[in-house]
Amino acid sequence: MTLNIAVLVKLEPDFSEGSVSYNPDGTLNRAETKSKLGAHSAIASLAAFYTKVKYGGYISVSSMGPPMAEIALQEAQSICDADELHLYSDRLFASADTLATAEVLQQGIRKMNNGKEMDIVFSGHRASDGETGQTGPQTAWKLGFTFLGNVIDFSVDLNKRFILAKRLVALPGFYDIVEEIQAPLPVFIAIDPLYKPIFDTISLRLTSSRYLKEAKERAANYKTYLKVLDHKKLELDPRFVGLPGSPTIVHKVEKIPKARTTRTAELIEGYDREGIKNTITKILQLVQK
Amino acid sequence: MENCDVTIVGGGSAGLAALKHLSSLGKQAILLEAGKEIGSKNVSGGILYSKKSNNGKIYNVEDIYGESFLTEYPYERKITKYILNATSKDKVFSIDLTESHNYQTNFGYSVLLNKLNSWFAQEAQNAAERLGGGIITGVHVRALKWEEKRSKIIVQTDELEEFETKVVIAADGVNSEIAEMANAREKFSPSELYQGVKVLVKLPEKIIEERFEINNSEEGAAHLFAGDVSLNLIGGGFLYTNRDSLSIGGVYHYDSLLENPIEPAEIVNSMLKNPLISELIKDEVPIKEIDKTLSKEQQVRKSFAITKLLNNWNELRQLYYSHKLKEKSIADRKYSSEDEIKSKLDNLTKRLTDEYNIKFKTNYIELEYTTKLVPDGKRGRMKKPYHKNILFIGDAAGRGLFFGPRIEGLNVGMDDAARASIAVARSLDKNNFDSDYLGEFYTRLVEESPYTVDMKEIDKQYLNVILNSTRKRIPSNVLGLKHKLLFNLVSNDGLRNFFITMINKYGYTRLLSFIESEDVYFKVPIKIADKLGTLNTASYIPQIPTIQDRVAKLCYHEDNISHIKILDSSKNFLRKMVVLCPTKCYSLEGDEVILQHEGCIECGTCSKETEWRHPRGEKGVIFKYG
Repeated sequence: MTLNIAVLVKLEPDFSEGSVSYNPDGTLNRAETKSKLGAHSAIASLAAFYTKVKYGGYISVSSMGPPMAEIALQEAQSICDADELHLYSDRLFASADTLATAEVLQQGIRKMNNGKEMDIVFSGHRASDGETGQTGPQTAWKLGFTFLGNVIDFSVDLNKRFILAKRLVALPGFYDIVEEIQAPLPVFIAIDPLYKPIFDTISLRLTSSRYLKEAKERAANYKTYLKVLDHKKLELDPRFVGLPGSPTIVHKVEKIPKARTTRTAELIEGYDREGIKNTITKILQLVQK
Repeated sequence: MENCDVTIVGGGSAGLAALKHLSSLGKQAILLEAGKEIGSKNVSGGILYSKKSNNGKIYNVEDIYGESFLTEYPYERKITKYILNATSKDKVFSIDLTESHNYQTNFGYSVLLNKLNSWFAQEAQNAAERLGGGIITGVHVRALKWEEKRSKIIVQTDELEEFETKVVIAADGVNSEIAEMANAREKFSPSELYQGVKVLVKLPEKIIEERFEINNSEEGAAHLFAGDVSLNLIGGGFLYTNRDSLSIGGVYHYDSLLENPIEPAEIVNSMLKNPLISELIKDEVPIKEIDKTLSKEQQVRKSFAITKLLNNWNELRQLYYSHKLKEKSIADRKYSSEDEIKSKLDNLTKRLTDEYNIKFKTNYIELEYTTKLVPDGKRGRMKKPYHKNILFIGDAAGRGLFFGPRIEGLNVGMDDAARASIAVARSLDKNNFDSDYLGEFYTRLVEESPYTVDMKEIDKQYLNVILNSTRKRIPSNVLGLKHKLLFNLVSNDGLRNFFITMINKYGYTRLLSFIESEDVYFKVPIKIADKLGTLNTASYIPQIPTIQDRVAKLCYHEDNISHIKILDSSKNFLRKMVVLCPTKCYSLEGDEVILQHEGCIECGTCSKETEWRHPRGEKGVIFKYG
C-alpha cells in the first residue's frame, strides 16, 4: 500500500534584497516585486517528499492563484517530485479570504489523483504575506480530516493506517513542549518551520537522489502536465468562492506605527580587538551599576 | 545492516572517476561526499590534461567519461599559449613554453572545479544509478571497522546508520582521514607538500580575449611566474584564463614556507601587485555609496534598489561581452541586435551614475579566495597505495606530478581511479579481497602508470623541449659564472643525457633539493628579468582586499564543534600557524596559541601537529568556484 499525499502551496512575494520593491509611501510594490514559492510551502513540499521516499506515495500539489502562480507549483515540483500539479485559477476566486480559499482547496483535494481520498494533506505553517495561518485548519475542517498543527516530525504505520506525529506546542510558563499524537489517517498536517527530514540510511539517500533527479527533469517541463481548474471544473458554487464567499470585511488598513522610544541607546561599534575590549568594558560597567 | 559492494570516500575528480569507471565495468558502488553538494569542497589551480605517453597507457578524462566531455563543455578554455615569465620589480621577461605544454599532450583545459566536478558527478550518478549505486552527499566517514573473518569493512559515519562494504576506495584528498584511520601512512611531512593559494578574478569574456591576444573564443592562455613575485620562497605563480574569469595564485614548497613564514595571502598579493598582472586584471568596477544622512529606512530601500539595478547591469554587461550568451539572447529574440544590448547597457550605466551616484573606478573584482595543500608525488607518494581492502587514489595517495613548468594533479588522480576500479572489479569477480590479490595488483597497475614513471625519473625528452625553448631566448652571457657553467652543461645534449642517466639511476629524488633550489626559482629568473625584461607600468593601484574581506566573501555552513583540536598550544609549529594559516584562524593570546575554527577553509596547513578532521557532513566552507 502506498499513500495518497496532497500538498497545498502558495505563491508569495520574494522579500530578499534585489527582488523586493517598495512604493514611495513604504508599501510593497507588488508589480515590481518578484514572486516565488513561499518558504513555508517549500517546507510542506519537503515533508511530502520525505513521505514519498520513506513510504512510497502519489503526490498531488495544488495552489489557488492567478495564472502566474504556476511557478510556485514548478518550484514545489522540483522539491517533492510530484505526480500531478493542479492550479485553481478563475477570476471568480479573486479577493477570497481564508474561508473562501479553503472552500476551493478542499474541493480541489477531492479531485486529486482521479478522486481518490487523500491520506495526508500537507500545508505550510502560514504565509509570509498574510500571516493568518487559518487556511490550513479551515480546509481540514471542511474536509473532515484530523488537523495536526506545528508538526516537527512524524512516522506512518502503513498497516494500521495511523500516523504518529510530534507537535511543538506552547504552554504558559514552558518552552519547547513536544506533544506526541497518534491519529488515524487521513490527516491534515500544517508543518512546523523547524521540521527537517532525515534520510539516515544509504538506501533512503539513494532513493531520494533518484526521485530528486526525476523531480528536476519533470519541473523543467511542468507545463505539459499541469492542470488548470476553474470553478466549473472544480464543481464549485460561485456563491461560496471569491468575494461572495468571503465573510471577512477589511474595514481599514493601517500602517503599524513605529514604537515610541522610551530608552536611550548608545551605539558602540568595534570589530577589532580594541573595539571588542571597549564593548566588554561598557557591558561590565552597566552590569556593575 | 545495509551493505554495498564498493564505497568510495570523497567526491573530487578522482573519486568521481572511480565511480564512473566502476559503473562502466558493471560494478555497484556508492560515493560518500562530506560537502553538501559535489564540488563544494574542491579546489584546483587548475588545468586538466589529457596525455599520451610512450611509457604506456594513460586513462584520460575522455576514456572515463567518453567524448561527451568534449562536446558538453564542462571546462573553461583550451590552453594554447603557455608562457613562463621571469619577474624583477616592474620588469618581466617572457619565454614561450607552449611546446613543452604540448609535449605528449592531447589537450589541456583550464577548469573551475565546482563546475567540472558537478558535470562529472552527473555522468557518474547516471551510470551508477543503473547498478543500484550512486552519490550520497553531506556524509562524513567517522570510522572504519574490520570484520576480518568475512573480510568486510563496516563504515561508520556522522550522518547515516552504519553499513557494510567489501572495498573502500579512499579519495578523500591530501588530508586523508581514511589513511589515518587505517594507519596506512604517516601524515605527509612539510617536504612532501606544496601550499597552493588562489584568487579567482572576474573579467568579461571578450576583454580576456583582447588582453591575452586570443583569437578564438574557445582558446586560452596560461602564464607561469618565477622571480621576485615568489617572495624568496621555493615556488612560483600562475595565471590561467577561464571563460569569464582568471585563476591567479602561487604554489610553494611547504617546508620553504615553514622556514620563512609569510602570510599565504601575501603570495597571491605579490602577483596581483605586479604591474603586468595588474594591467591584465583591471576592469570598471561600480562603487556603491549610500548617503549616510538619509534615515536608516531610506538607506535600506536605496541599497535594495541599487542592488537590483547593479544585478541587471552585471547581467547585461556579461551578456554584451560574451559570445554564446549574446548570440542566444538575440536568437531567442530577447534583444534585436548587439546595438540594442549596448544602448541598454549605456542607459543603465547612466542611470546608475546620475540617479544613484554610483561611481565607476578602475580596479579588479575578486570572486573567491582559496587555498589547498598539494602532495608532491616525487617525494611523498605511497609506494604501496593500499591497506587491506582499502585502495588510495589521487591526492590521498600523495600523487601530484610537478616538474618545472609541468603541474598535474587532476589527470593523475583520474588515472589512479581507473586503475583502482580495474583492480576492484577483478576482486569482485573472484570474490577475493586478500592483499595479495587486490592491493598488490593495484600497486602493480599504479607502478605501470606513465605518471609514476615521471615521478621517479627525469624525462630527458621533456627536459630537452624546455631547454630548446629557453636556449633560443636567453643568451648565456646574461647569467653569472656559476649559472653560465651550469647552463652550458645542460645545453650540451651528450653531457646532459649522460648526467640525467646517472641521476635517474642514482635516484633523482635525492637530488631534488639541488634541482628545486633558490637559484632555479628566484635568483636566476630575477637576474634574467633585470637584464632582458621589459618595463611594465600599471595605470592604477589595485585595491587588494584584506584577508578578513576575503573570508567574509566565502560561504560557510558553520559548525559549532571545531574539527581541529590543538594538541600542544605552546609548540613552535603552532606559533608559525599564526602567520601561515591562510584565513588567520590562529592567534597568540599571551604565550598560548588559540584557534577559532569558524573561518577555516579546510586546507590542512595546520594538520601536521593538530588533531585534524574534515568537518561533519554539509558543514564548513562551501566553495562556489573551486
